[in-house]
Amino acid sequence: MKMLEIKNLHAKIDGKEILRGINLTVNAGEVHAIMGPNGAGKSTLSNVLTGREGYEITQGEVIYKGENLLELEPEERARRGVFLAFQYPVEIPGVSNIYLLKAALNAVRKHQGLEELDAIDFLTLVRSKMQLVKMDEQFLHRSVNEGFSGGEKKRNEILQMALLEPELAILDETDSGLDIDALRTVSEGVNALRNSDRSIVMITHYQRLLDYIVPDYVHVLSEGRIVKSGDKELAKELEKSGYSWVHDAPEPEGQPA
Amino acid sequence: MKVLTDIHTDFAAVAASRDVMVEENSRWHTLRQQAKAQFERNGLPGRKEEDWKYTSLWQLGQEQFKHQVSQPGHADIYDLQLVEDAYRLVIVDGRVDFTASSIDNLPAGLTVSPLSQAIERASEFLNQQINIEKPGFNALNTMLMNEGIFIEVAANSQIDKPIELIVVNTGRTEHYAMHLRNVIVMNESSQATFIETYAGNDNANGLTEVITEINLAESAELFHYKLQREALDHYHIATIAAKQAANSKWHNSNISLGGKLARNDVHSQLLGEQSHVTLNGLYLVTGEQHVDNHTRIDHAVPNTTSDEMYKGVLDQQSHAVFNGKVIVHKDAQKTDANQSNRNLLLSRGCEIDTKPEMEIYADDVKCGHGSAVGQINEDQLFFLRARGLDEISARSLLTFAFAVDVIERISNQELKKSITAVIEKRLPKGGNHE
Repeated sequence: MKMLEIKNLHAKIDGKEILRGINLTVNAGEVHAIMGPNGAGKSTLSNVLTGREGYEITQGEVIYKGENLLELEPEERARRGVFLAFQYPVEIPGVSNIYLLKAALNAVRKHQGLEELDAIDFLTLVRSKMQLVKMDEQFLHRSVNEGFSGGEKKRNEILQMALLEPELAILDETDSGLDIDALRTVSEGVNALRNSDRSIVMITHYQRLLDYIVPDYVHVLSEGRIVKSGDKELAKELEKSGYSWVHDAPEPEGQPA
Repeated sequence: MKVLTDIHTDFAAVAASRDVMVEENSRWHTLRQQAKAQFERNGLPGRKEEDWKYTSLWQLGQEQFKHQVSQPGHADIYDLQLVEDAYRLVIVDGRVDFTASSIDNLPAGLTVSPLSQAIERASEFLNQQINIEKPGFNALNTMLMNEGIFIEVAANSQIDKPIELIVVNTGRTEHYAMHLRNVIVMNESSQATFIETYAGNDNANGLTEVITEINLAESAELFHYKLQREALDHYHIATIAAKQAANSKWHNSNISLGGKLARNDVHSQLLGEQSHVTLNGLYLVTGEQHVDNHTRIDHAVPNTTSDEMYKGVLDQQSHAVFNGKVIVHKDAQKTDANQSNRNLLLSRGCEIDTKPEMEIYADDVKCGHGSAVGQINEDQLFFLRARGLDEISARSLLTFAFAVDVIERISNQELKKSITAVIEKRLPKGGNHE
C-alpha cells in the first residue's frame, strides 16, 4: 500500500526556490532515509510535509493515503497520522508535558471516533510508553521540554510518537545533539515502533543514525532534488566520500528541467 | 445632576442622602470637610500629571453618576464566591446584604464588620495610608465613602478561614457610583487571608471607587487577593495601600479583568526591618477596555525585601498601562527588590505602556527589574498544531501558559482553582488547561 507519494514537488520560501522537483514514494512499513548536505532542502521538505506556514508550493502534489496532504492544516495532518519529530523541539513553559500528551492523544482519538481516555487509563498507557524511551515519570509534570537536555528533548519526541502511534513518522535530524547513549536509547525507541503498517522517513545529515535505525531505502537530496537512490549501502558510500560528488551528478532521468 | 468633576458642589445633597451618620466634630467629619476643600481645589487629575499620563479621566469626569440607590438590586452571590467556606461580607449596590453575608460566628480575635457599623474604631485608621492633597480619588473617596469592610485581627490570632468581601454593582440603577473604604488592621503576629471581589451584571455602567487601607503591625502576615471582574462598561478606580512594620509580610495578588476603565494604585511602605511584600498582578483585557496598574514600593529602612511580578494579556483594541515604582530610600541598605512586567499582545490593535522605575538612594542593595512585550511564539504554536491541537485551542493554551505563573503563586488551593476557572473563561476560547 502506498503511504506517501510526493510528485514533482516544488516549494519556495521568501521567493527562493528550495525544492525543485522532488519525487518519492513510500509504502506502508518502509523506512526511508533522506540524506543531504546543508542547504539541500531537507528541513524545507519536512516543514512542507507537516504544514508549517511560510512556504509556497509552486508545483507538484503530495498524496498521503489517497488524500491531498497539502490542503490540510497541520493539526488535520497530525490527526490523520502524520507525525513530525522536531529537529529542535520547542520549550513551552507553563504547559505541562502530561497536558500536552493528553491533548495530543485525545485530538487523534476524537478524529478516529474514539472516546477520550480517562485519567487512569491514560496514565497507564503513558507509563508503558515512557519505559520504551527510558524516561522518568517526573518528566510528565514538568513544562514541555523546559530545561530538558538535548537527549531528553529527543526522547520526549519519541515518547510522543510512541503514544500517538502515527502511520507516517518524519524524523527530522533526530540524531543531532545526541551523545552515543542517547542516540542508542532514541533508536531503540524508534526500532520498537517499526511495523508493517507504519512508514518512517528519516531526514539526516549524517550516516551515524542509520547504523542504529537501518533504512530500507536511502535517498540523496541535493539542491532541492533527489539525485540518487539506493539501499543502505549508499549511505556508507556517502560516509566515505562525502557529499561533494553529488553536485556533479547528472540530472535524474524523467525529471523536468 | 452634577458631573463627577463638580460633585463637591452637590456634596451637601449627596452626603445628606447617605445612611451613615457621621457625627459633627468626629474625626471622620473633619476629614470629609478637608477632603471636600481639597477636591474643590484640585478636582480629578489630568494627563499632565505623571501618574495619569496614559489614562484619561476626562470621560469619567463628565459622567453624571448617581451616588445613592433607593433600592439595591439582587445579586447571585453563589456564582461569585471564590471559596466556599469564608467569613463573608457582601455589598450590593452600596449596601450590605446581610442575608448573603456570614459574619455572625466569628472566632475570637477577629472583627469583621461593615464600615458603617465600626465607625468609631475604623476612624482611628482612616487616611493613615493615603494623602488627600494629591489631586484625585483620595479626596473624592474621603468625601463620599460610606461603606466598606472593616477587619481587625487581634494580636497573635491566626484566622482559620479566608475573609471574603464581595462587592456587586447590579446595574439596577443606571450610572450608579459606589464609594467604598476598606480598613484592615492586622495586630502583632496576626495572620489572615483576605479576598476581595468586585463584580457586576453585564449591563452595569457605573463606577466602583474603593480605597483599601492596611496596617500590618510587627510580624503580622496578610495573604491578600483581589479579583476585579466588572462589566465592560463599568469604571473601577482602586487604591490599596499598606504600611508594614518590622518582620511583617504582605502577599498581594491583583487580578483585573478590566472594564471601560480599571485603575489600581497599589502601594506598600516597608517601614520596619525584615518586612516583605509580594505584589503579583495579572490583567486580561479585550475589546476597547483600558486597565492601568500603578504600583509603588517604598523600602524605607534596611533589610527589607520585595518581589513583584505583573503580567498582562491584551487582545483586540485594548490598552494597558503598567507603572511600577520601587524606591530604595537613603540608608535602606541590604534591600532586595525584584520587579518584572511581561505582556502578551494577541492582536495588532492593542497598546501597552510599561514603565518600571527604580529609584535607588542606598549603595548596598540588590535590585533587578525588567519588562517585556511579546506575541504568541509561532514555533510553539506550530508545535502544538503538529501534535493535533487546533489553532484556537493552541493559542488559548499558550495564553494560559503565559499567565500561569501568577496563578501558581496563589497559595490557597481552592482559590487557585476558582481563579483559574474565571481566567480560562476569559481566554480566546474558554477551556480547561489543568
